[in-house]
Amino acid sequence: MRTLRLRRAAYGVLAIVVSVVVFLVPFAFIVLTASKTAPDASQLEFSLPQDWAFLDNLVEVVSYRDGIVLRAFVNSAVLTVLSVTAMVLLAAMVGYVTQRRRSWLNPVVDTMVLAGLIVPPAVVPTVWVLQRLELFKTLGGLVLIEVTFGLSFCILLFRAFVATIPRELDEAAILDGAGPVRLFWTMIVPLLRPVIITVVVVQAVAVFNDFTGPLYFLPGDENATVQLTLYNFQGQSLNQYNLLFMDILLITIPPLVLYVFFNRQIVAGMTNGALKG
Amino acid sequence: MFTAHGHGRGLRRGLAVGAAATLVGSLVAGCSGGADSGGAVEISYLVPNDATGVESAERLISAFEEAHPDIAVDLQTQPDGTEGDNLTKTKLATGEMEDVFVYNTGSLLQALNPDQTLTDLSDEEWVSHVSDDFLDTVRTDQGLYGAPTGSSFGGGILYNVPLYEELGLEVPETWDDFVANSETIARERPDVTPVLQAYGETWTAQMLILAAHGSVAQEDPGWAERFTAGEAKFAQEPALAGFEHLQEVHDAGLLNEDFASLTHDQALRQLAEGGAAHYPMLTNAAPAIAQNNPDELDDVGFFALPAADAEHTAATIWQPGAVYIPSSTTGEELEAAKTLVEFITSSPEACAIAQDTGVATGPYVIDTCPLEDGVPRMVEDLQTYVDEDRAEPALEFVSPVKGPNLENIAIEVGSGIRSAADGAAAYDEDVRKQAQQLGLSGW
Repeated sequence: MRTLRLRRAAYGVLAIVVSVVVFLVPFAFIVLTASKTAPDASQLEFSLPQDWAFLDNLVEVVSYRDGIVLRAFVNSAVLTVLSVTAMVLLAAMVGYVTQRRRSWLNPVVDTMVLAGLIVPPAVVPTVWVLQRLELFKTLGGLVLIEVTFGLSFCILLFRAFVATIPRELDEAAILDGAGPVRLFWTMIVPLLRPVIITVVVVQAVAVFNDFTGPLYFLPGDENATVQLTLYNFQGQSLNQYNLLFMDILLITIPPLVLYVFFNRQIVAGMTNGALKG
Repeated sequence: MFTAHGHGRGLRRGLAVGAAATLVGSLVAGCSGGADSGGAVEISYLVPNDATGVESAERLISAFEEAHPDIAVDLQTQPDGTEGDNLTKTKLATGEMEDVFVYNTGSLLQALNPDQTLTDLSDEEWVSHVSDDFLDTVRTDQGLYGAPTGSSFGGGILYNVPLYEELGLEVPETWDDFVANSETIARERPDVTPVLQAYGETWTAQMLILAAHGSVAQEDPGWAERFTAGEAKFAQEPALAGFEHLQEVHDAGLLNEDFASLTHDQALRQLAEGGAAHYPMLTNAAPAIAQNNPDELDDVGFFALPAADAEHTAATIWQPGAVYIPSSTTGEELEAAKTLVEFITSSPEACAIAQDTGVATGPYVIDTCPLEDGVPRMVEDLQTYVDEDRAEPALEFVSPVKGPNLENIAIEVGSGIRSAADGAAAYDEDVRKQAQQLGLSGW
């Protein structure tokens, strides 16, 4: 009994040590480098700064090029909120209908969902389509692209989760006089809460961290997103590591906060519905 | 069941509907983002987004708008490197390129398919002031596409001047002198690294080979042409010397111990602070030294990579980038874009701004803009070679062929994994594939 408890404690300590090394050490490196002066930071050493320049670096990054980093935060926030909202709404509807109602359309929808996961994006033709729709270089155009790339994964999650909701619940609501729209919004959507949180967090981080999408489909400085601003501080022959790491620190905070607050729900949502397909 | 959820129902529905409305609203708003310019012509100017480039571009634009009040310039930036190359090609293919943009010269320009995508500038007035070496890098058989922006830079050996003075060493004129100097340093000052290599950043490994081209071109002026035609090879002298040097510095034990992982910035710091004597590198390292070791900038000098024979020793010159106008720009925007290109290239204001922002890396390629006093020591040294006519353009500007694997092969040779002859043969093979892809005859 005693040895078992000891061994458990040892495993626990080991797990904590490993997670500290894997997660906290890199984070500490980011914070320390972001606090150094440029010559100090160029050594890329894991050491305390000779002079603390955290505030100076923060001010310089934020005020760089008339506040391009702040503008990028606004753009990224709008992009993330709109894309994730659209994904949740569409995927919840598709997931519910395809799980509940079997028809000849199902194989077609399944194929499309799979294709969405498999087919890689082609940049130039996509730009042509956006140009013809007059959506190129607009946030709306990029929202549609992000939704397209993320939707398949969301649909799979929603469909698996809907399978765990008893059909009797639908029938009871219909007997009480609920129409299809009311059934979905007032019965099903509240029950989808765990999986909605999972989708929101996973997709928000994916969209927020996307680099190639904004690079190719939303060029222009007024449209910059946060990941693109990282390139302001590095080049082949001259790197400003202190500013680069300050920018990284700023960009890391929103996803980090999201994970800290929703950690439990994310794991729960991922495993919910994993048993019943 | 129902009552438990009842009180939140209305609110939740309200939120969902609101979110959907916002989404639709934003999509509609996205469609209607139009341009409005009142009278003045508005053009856009694209630069790579490193800090010094952006700063000088901003100053350039404000000077330009003062001189030409009828033209408004909108500054845009994009990443450098592979992402930048892909994005540039995408923009050109979809007609979305900015009206004036900065890009590389030489073989990277040829990859843009300039005859189809860019505007011919050969009739512009500034062309007669620009050096022929530069013009060759922005030309095809059908036209001239680029105007120089920024200064050229040299490749050779950066060395620590106080160390040379302390030990009473002379700048070496032959490779044997160079090795002898390095051995003296190893003997007299065991704490100092004679020759630095920084394979932590792979591109730096190519320097001893690429910077040897100055000497090759002096010894055999037709080499580059025969190389493009598939006749001259790296596995034969004189070009083999570059690979041999790389092997020799490793085998003679002249390198730093951590050559496999040292980074470029760390190497420059060691060199500037006197912890190392030589570093085969480009003079465009000057801004990095100015940022990280401002007090030691003038302790770092430059000499051309020494050839076997002193009379062939010559500096290798890298040409600056250029500004281009895409063929999708037409009408009054095209006229305005040409005015901006001329201003960037040949106006005295632009020359002053270029020398004022950042740190000079080498001579300018246009005769209307001489180097001012107060440039870093290494740039002064480079200028002497140029003035004495002991300078040749780097191979990538006189031949479209450059194998993509040179850095990997150079690291193998420089780490003692492969012999020089073996490495040179492997690179010839790499070059052959590249030449076949380009569709050159004779391969």
